[in-house]
Formats: sequence, structure tokens, C-alpha cells
Amino acid sequence: MGAAQGPGNGGSRRPTEVDGVAARPWHAAAWLAWAVAATAALQLAPSPLYVALVVALATLVVAVFGGDSPYARAYPVLVGLALVFAVMRVALTALTTHGGPDVLVTLPGATLPDWLGGFTVGSTIEAPVVAQAAYEAFVIVGIVAVFAACNAVIAHHELVQGLPRAFHELGLVVAVGVAFVPTTIVAIHDVREADRLRTGGRPVRRGRLVRQIVPVLERGLEHAITLGESMDSRGFARGGSTPRERAAAWCGAAGLAALGGAFVALVAGESTPALVCIGVGTGAVVGAIALASRGSRRARYRPRHLARADVGLIAVVALAPVALAGLTLAGDDRLAWAASPLRWPALSLPAVLALAFLAAPLVRRPVPTPAATRDPAVVATPATGPAVPA
Amino acid sequence: MSAITYRDVRFGYPDGPDALRGVDLTVPTGDVVLVVGPSGSGKSTLLRAANGLVPHASGGRFAGSVVTFGRDTRTHAPRALADVIGFVAQDPEAQFVVDRVEHDVAFVLENLGLSDVTMRRRVEEALDALGIAHLRGRSPSSVSGGERQRAAIAGVLAAAPAAIVCDEPTSQLDPQGADDVLAALVRLNADLGTTVLLAEHRLERAAAIAHHAVLVDDGRVVGTGRPGPLLADYPGAPSVTRLGRLLGWDPPPLTVREARARAADPTGLPVPARVDGDPLGAAHPGDDGSPAPGPSLVRAEGLRVERGGRTVLHGIDLDVRAGEVVALFGRNGAGKTTLLRALAGLDAPARGSVTATVAVGCVPQDPNTLLFAPTVRREVAETLRLLRRPDPGAVDRWLDALGLTALADRHPRSLSGGERQRVAIAAVAVGGAPVLLLDEPTRGMDAASREALHDAVVAHARTGGAVVLATHDVELAARCATSVVVLGDGDVVASGPARTVLAGSLFAPQVLRVLPPFCTVDEVAAALATGGAR
Repeated sequence: MGAAQGPGNGGSRRPTEVDGVAARPWHAAAWLAWAVAATAALQLAPSPLYVALVVALATLVVAVFGGDSPYARAYPVLVGLALVFAVMRVALTALTTHGGPDVLVTLPGATLPDWLGGFTVGSTIEAPVVAQAAYEAFVIVGIVAVFAACNAVIAHHELVQGLPRAFHELGLVVAVGVAFVPTTIVAIHDVREADRLRTGGRPVRRGRLVRQIVPVLERGLEHAITLGESMDSRGFARGGSTPRERAAAWCGAAGLAALGGAFVALVAGESTPALVCIGVGTGAVVGAIALASRGSRRARYRPRHLARADVGLIAVVALAPVALAGLTLAGDDRLAWAASPLRWPALSLPAVLALAFLAAPLVRRPVPTPAATRDPAVVATPATGPAVPA
Repeated sequence: MSAITYRDVRFGYPDGPDALRGVDLTVPTGDVVLVVGPSGSGKSTLLRAANGLVPHASGGRFAGSVVTFGRDTRTHAPRALADVIGFVAQDPEAQFVVDRVEHDVAFVLENLGLSDVTMRRRVEEALDALGIAHLRGRSPSSVSGGERQRAAIAGVLAAAPAAIVCDEPTSQLDPQGADDVLAALVRLNADLGTTVLLAEHRLERAAAIAHHAVLVDDGRVVGTGRPGPLLADYPGAPSVTRLGRLLGWDPPPLTVREARARAADPTGLPVPARVDGDPLGAAHPGDDGSPAPGPSLVRAEGLRVERGGRTVLHGIDLDVRAGEVVALFGRNGAGKTTLLRALAGLDAPARGSVTATVAVGCVPQDPNTLLFAPTVRREVAETLRLLRRPDPGAVDRWLDALGLTALADRHPRSLSGGERQRVAIAAVAVGGAPVLLLDEPTRGMDAASREALHDAVVAHARTGGAVVLATHDVELAARCATSVVVLGDGDVVASGPARTVLAGSLFAPQVLRVLPPFCTVDEVAAALATGGAR
């Protein structure tokens, strides 16, 4: 199934299956479902032990399915960034939130005037506050790790092709934008090395940020310009938009705005306006999709359809949050963790088994293709003859 | 009928000087037309005007008209011309939209709104026409440079355009990749009748496939005609063409094959030195005033380097001495860059050792990783500032040595690829390292830049330094290298004095294959001069 469907052009179809499907055993939608299920599981079981388990699982997924693609190399960087923000968050919380027993250390402090919030910066740092902040921040690190892993293993064009037709061009622009993350990471590495080479291997810290940021940004800009010209030359956004597409776009934008309003209302605790907003927003988005999909002239080249195995995977990974929700309803108090009083988080075996559903993608392995080698010339090219025309 | 007609086209980039100053040009349908000219002459602008990227994507001041297959680019944006003319940019890396070759090729078809059946057929045909059907499921970032450029061409060919415009399609490629790309263009032209408009600096291969050549200088077309006669006086002409001009062959040959046919005719060979016992005459490398190799500056012994779990270099021995210019050959992935990195101390050896008695400077392959300053002069001075060694004389010396004095106040990013490469070399060399490692320094360089680089390399070696060039540029190596090392799959497969290694090689420079044992046109000229004096 899937990519194997299509007009019978015989033998030339086999390599596609080998290179395309087997190298990426799961459909993009299946990976997205995995990421959503893992995120939901993190919300339902936010205790640090489970978060660590999910992060380990995400890392394993990247190691198995990511290969050495630039997206996979972006994974540790994204997780590292999340950790940096987590540490900053803990530090800020510890400095500004006070109260409770177990003072770790006492710093010089200052109380801000009332018009700045009137809270105290510095002063005593309490262990439960630090622990609570770290606990909350770690859940966010887990969510970032899950989506970074998903980004590392997913085929972005499959996702774009799976979008409703009206959002195809928007989705493509987003996918192209996402592709700049790994390219930028590669560029940062190259630029740092070049900076060291400039001084004969001696790192010079002074002014290093400017020396490294400017080439990275300018390379990115030049890349973006070339890409934009390439897309333009290949007819992207050709023919403009039809009135129906424009109507769909407005409808979709209004729907998203209503959903955003619903979120604000929910945060503010206004449930009736929130429900109204959700209803209006969902209706508008569905209408936009229907409107635009009927009017689109865009054909798609060999879209990958969901195979039975993909549907099975989606069902299995969905079991993880369902089982955790069941445990929560059953009153398992070991899923979450409280910083006060300080104690070691407990592990519940049923919860670990529920999280094990998230390991389902690992039942299949990608078949290594020649693409797995970095230097194709070494492997693929036989000894070459004269390099200059005779 | 003409494919593309330029009528008095004038164009200037926003906030820039005029790039085109009145171009009149007709590109005939079904021909391969080669555009040549020095960096910054307006070649790229001329090409980008063919499908309306100039002025639609660039902005700026545009006058005159370009009519491509009956459509005026003033009223048709590039996307409205995508079905008749395809454009392939110089950097194969940056032009992929989808991370899978097959789907990237289909991108233009999806935009044209073709039916599913037509798309499938066109994608198959485009993949086959470029010989990349086996790469269809791969990511463009994982294939070799030549394959990537062919995939980019397939990405415009799928729309079945009547013309394809390629802006220096081989400048970033190794010789094998460049041959593949040019062969693919020849096949498209011969089999499908596709008009090809091509800009190139390296003419050894490109000149032979062109039906017409267009010489561009300072924003004007200064000559059109058959490639042979037109390129005979061009400084970037292939070595055999310049040889033919030196020996008075008319028309000047474009390929080694043509040149050999002329050389086989004894009346076409007024080289008196050929009759002498020593055919090299005054041009023998030992006699040309360069000092004998001095003390060892960098030495690699039994060097073994592993990267990503793979052994890239297996026990390399290399000794770089003062006064030497070492040319490092080998196909992509043979370990040239890794060897340079190890010599520069970037990659630690897994076994063996690298001993450097002096400072080693290394210029990376991509000059853009280095350039950040607002002017060329400040870029070069920055290195001295970082090393806390104020020496304004050195800045001027290196700007002069690499022919950058006239560009000193320009922004490095506004320069052409070859000019940027020279700025990067100056920025590293000014640090005063006696050993310079240059990774593919002639990529994308025009004739003037190569000449400046050649002079700077020779001068650096003469003054007691040493240079290691990792390169595919046999012609440059034949002119300036004292020794040659050929790497194959991480091993040294040949090493020795440049003349010996090159003479026995399939990679021999063109002149050597026409008039052995001469390696360069300069040597033949010198022999002629001494022969005449006798």
C-alpha cells in the first residue's frame, strides 16, 4: 500500500519502496500521533521519573530512526536549549518566590516597589520552591524532547501533503522554515571552526559572538534568497488565488482567532464564552477546509497514504494516555509529584507499562540505504577514468 | 526562431552600480550558448534576466526588454514562465524545496497544476533524462554534489521547458560531477532539443559542448560567435586553446582531441626545443629560480584519522618543507579535507602524529564561514587585531598579493565567489603562518582570481613558506605545485615531484597530453623563446 500505489510502471517502482518507505517505516501522521500521545502522557504523569522515561524513549527513537540526517543532529541542540531555559526558569522562580521551610541559602535581597509587583528578589532560597520549579520545568523539557524527536524522524513533505489542500502552500512555507533549523546548526559548526582556523587554532573569545553570528545569519539569508528564487522559477504560487480560496483563507483565519479567544477565556476561567468561541472557531475552521479543498486545482504527486500498520501504530500509542487517564481516575497518586514535603518520587508499575505503549514505533526498523553514508563518492563511485575530456 | 531575445537591456541592482549597460543578444532555439566573462561582468544578471528573476525577484532599475518564447519578462513573472524556461542556480545546496529528490522534481508539476497521470510520467522522464532514477527516494543533502546538481536540473526539466538556464552549474563540483552535469546538458540538448544558456568559468569542458559563445564584460556583450575563435584571446580559455594560439593554429582547438590532431601534423609544431635532447629547456623546475626545499615545517607520520566511526585516513606520511607547494588530489570523499584538518590540528589523529614546527593557517572550503566584517580591509585586519599583532603593512601586502587592493573598501558579501575566496585566504594568511593549507581554493574562481592566487602561492613559497592545496584543478597544480600527492580512499596512492606524478596520471594537464613533456603553456613559450635565441 501507501507509496506503492500508482500506475503499473513495473520494476522501477521497487526501488522507491526500498528507499522511501522502508527507510521511513512510519507515516508522518503516525509520528505526529506518537508525539501528541507522548505529550498527553507527560501531562497525565508529570512525575520526574516518567518524564525521564519519555525523554529516554524520544532519544532512542531519534537514534534508531533519525540516522545522521541534519534534523536528527538538531535534536540534542533543541533539547539542550530547553534545558538552558529550564535552568533559567528555576533560577528566576527561586529568586522571586519565597516562603516555606528548608532554606537552602540566604542571599542579599531587595523588595521591589508596589507598582513593580511588590515582590522580593533574592533573599532566602528554599528547597521546596527550587524543587517545584525544577519539576515543572522538566515536564516542559520532556515536551520539547518529544517534538524535537518527532521533527527528527518525520518526513516533512508527507505532512505537507497530508494537509487539507487549502493549507498546502502555507504548510510548505512552514516546512521550508523548519528546514532552516538543521542548516543553521551545521552553519554554526562550520563558522566556529573557521573562526578558530583564522587565528591558527587559538580560540579568541573577544568579539567572538559577532564574528560567528554574522556569517551564520548572512549564509541563512543567502540560502533563503536562493530558495525563494528557485521556488519562484519553478512556478510556486503561480496563477494567484481564486475567490473561493480567499474566502477559505479568511474563514480559516477567523476560526483560528476564535479558538485563540477560547484559550484566553479558558485561562481567565470564563467557561461560557470559551464554549461559544470553541464552537464558532471549530465550525469556521471546518468550513474553511471544506471550502478550500473543493476549489483547489492543486494535484499532488504520489501522496503516501496511511498503511494498516500506521493506523495500528496510532491506535497503540493512543493507549498510553488512555491508560494513564484510567490510572488517574482510579486514584493512583504516584503519577504526579509534590515538592512539599520533599521526598523521592515513587514509581508505579502500571504507569510504566502504560508508557511502554509509546515504544511501539520501535517494532520496525528503518532499512539502511546508501543514503546512510556521508561520503557517497567513496562507496558508490567506482574508480573514475580520465577527468578531462579527451 | 529565437528562444530568448534581449533588446537594449539596462539594469542596476538597488543601491548598486549598473550591472547591464545595454545588452542586445539573441539566443537561437535548440543551441547550447555559453556565456563567459570575468567575475562581476554581469553574466549572472544576464542569465537571471532570461526568466524574469531580474527584475522581478531582484528589484532595481530595469530598461529595455527580454522576450522569452514570445513572453515579455516585464509582464511575466518567473512563475509565469516556469513552463517554458527553467533556471538552475549556482549553489545546488540551496535550491531544494522538498527533502526527497522525487518529490522535489514533482514540485514544479504540482505548481503547474498538472494531472496526477501526467505528473508521474514527467517525473519518471526527468529522472531518467538526468540518470538519477536510483536517487529518487534519497534526500538531496545526502547525495554527491554532481548528483545534487543533476537533481536540481531535473527539478526544472520536469516541466518540459523549451530552455534551461544554468548559472555556473559545475563551479561547486569535482571534475567527475562536472562531467556528469555537462554530459546531461548535452544529452538534453541533443535528444530533446532543449535550448541551454550556460555561464561558466572553467572552460576546459564547457567550451567543447557549446555551439555559440557570448563574451560579456562590464555589463556589455563584447563578442559573440563560435567558441574557438572567440575564446582564443580570453584569459580564462582552456590551456589547449591558449597553446593553439601560441603556436598559431587556426582555428584554435577547444579540446585535447582537436589539439592532438594538430600536434600530430609536424608542420604545426614550431617547437625547436622538441628536437633538442632536453625538451624542457629553460623551463625545468629546478632552474626557474625557486630555492630547493628547506627544512620540514609540518610532518604527518602514520596519520590515521577516524570520523563518525569510519576510518577516513589510513596511515598517511607527508612531509611539507619550506619552499614547497604541495597539491593534494583525489576524488570527493578521498580524505583531502580531513588531511588538511588534521594538519591544522582540527581533527585529532587516532594513531600516528602530526608535528608542526611553525604556525599553520588553514582556509576552509567555504569562504562565507569566515567573512563578517563590513569591508575587505577590515576583514583582513581583524585577524591581526585578534592576534594582537598590529601590522598595517601586512594587510596591504596581502591585499596586494591577492589582487584585492581595488576591492579593499567593498563589502565582502557583495563580491563574487572567487573574490570572496581570495579575501578569506588573505584573512588567514595575514596572520603570518608560514604554512598555508587551502581547501579547494579555485572553486568558482574566474581567470583573474586564479592568476592572482597562483602568484600569491608561488610568492609565499619562495619566501620560505609552504602551501598545501587540496584541489581538483590540475592546470593550476601543473603551474605552481612542486610536489603532488594523490589520495584514494584515505591512502596515498601516488606522491612525488609534480611533473613525475602528473606525467603518469590520467589527470594530466591538457598541455602534457598534447605536447609531452611540457606541462603548461608557459613552458612551451619559454622553450620557444630559448629555441629562437639559439
